[in-house]
Amino acid sequence: MKPEELLYSKTHEWVAIATDEAGAKVATVGISAFALEALTDLVFVDLPQVGRSVSAGEPFGEIESVKAVSDLYSPVDGEIVEVNSTLVDQLETLSDDPYTSGWFVKIRIADETALSGLMDHAAYQKQCEQEMADE
Amino acid sequence: MPSVPVTECRLIVHPPSSGAWNMAVDEHLLGWTSRSGCCCWRFYQWAEPTLSLGYFQQYAARAEHEASRSCPVVRRASGGGAILHDRELTYSVTVPLDHLLGRRRQWMYDAVHQTLIAVLAMKGIRASLFGSSSLGEERSAEFLCFKRRSAGDVVVAGVKIAGSAQRRSAGAVLQHGSVLLRRSLAAPELPGLCEITGKSLEPEELMQLWRQQVAEALTLRWHADSLSQEEEEGVAGIASEKYGSPSWTEKRRGS
Repeated sequence: MKPEELLYSKTHEWVAIATDEAGAKVATVGISAFALEALTDLVFVDLPQVGRSVSAGEPFGEIESVKAVSDLYSPVDGEIVEVNSTLVDQLETLSDDPYTSGWFVKIRIADETALSGLMDHAAYQKQCEQEMADE
Repeated sequence: MPSVPVTECRLIVHPPSSGAWNMAVDEHLLGWTSRSGCCCWRFYQWAEPTLSLGYFQQYAARAEHEASRSCPVVRRASGGGAILHDRELTYSVTVPLDHLLGRRRQWMYDAVHQTLIAVLAMKGIRASLFGSSSLGEERSAEFLCFKRRSAGDVVVAGVKIAGSAQRRSAGAVLQHGSVLLRRSLAAPELPGLCEITGKSLEPEELMQLWRQQVAEALTLRWHADSLSQEEEEGVAGIASEKYGSPSWTEKRRGS
């Protein structure tokens, strides 16, 4: 997936929206290359089980880097329909290919309200630039 | 790291307590900082030698560490390796994510550890950050945190004597860490400051010197405080339902 075509949350998750066979919208979720650059030396990731309900802004998983455990936040409301369990043992995939092989979960969207709060690529780039300037 | 503006900071000193209580207080303070946007620094100790596991460590791995088998165990919310808390001083600090100190993981480790290095220098002990010299960085899957080395750890004569770990939430970051003052019988492979330098540093003296140094270097203005009755009740709930529960402590997490 091309970063320019994705949506982004303030907490640096990227979202790709597609439609499944039943016509439901499904969000594929990962974290951006900008966030991954800050998360050096990833050692563990904990992802949810298929079937779990998630809410926008609430944690769906956790990741450890440099002895720091951080939450991964769901950008949408819905149900986990697929988990990229290969990541758990191949964390280098995240840095090597964050926007294609490095996805975390797929979420069948139950309520599209949260989508309007996501940023396009240009707006997300501005957020990243602002964060760098603040440092 | 750029200079940090003066920040009002709650300062709490707790007497030795159980592992579950200590971890519950740190979690409570992380939430408090997230809600209030205020900072807190806490010094604490442990009522008995206690093993704390890193968040992703497997519970079963503790069986391989024979010397600490009889010690109570608690799982931290932060990362890293296991720590045998005994003859040490422990600290925690919580800052909002938009505070300069909390924005970058390594800044926070380095900034806090540099204040400890300055305190040790006052006592004639030469300490440095691991990775800041030609030592470089090494990865390790050692069970005990103090057998591992990460950039920013505090080393004396090449031996790690202090390390920290973090839990980052949506609104705040918790960093807590230990300073190994003396060797523990429950982790005899780890010398403390006393064994390495021949100099004795008691927790009370370290606390006094360190709080002054932290306030100066990190531009914090202390507000000596304790937990309110309501906070104590909240902590007791977190301690019994989470950190004192086998379902939390023994849950298999990382590989």
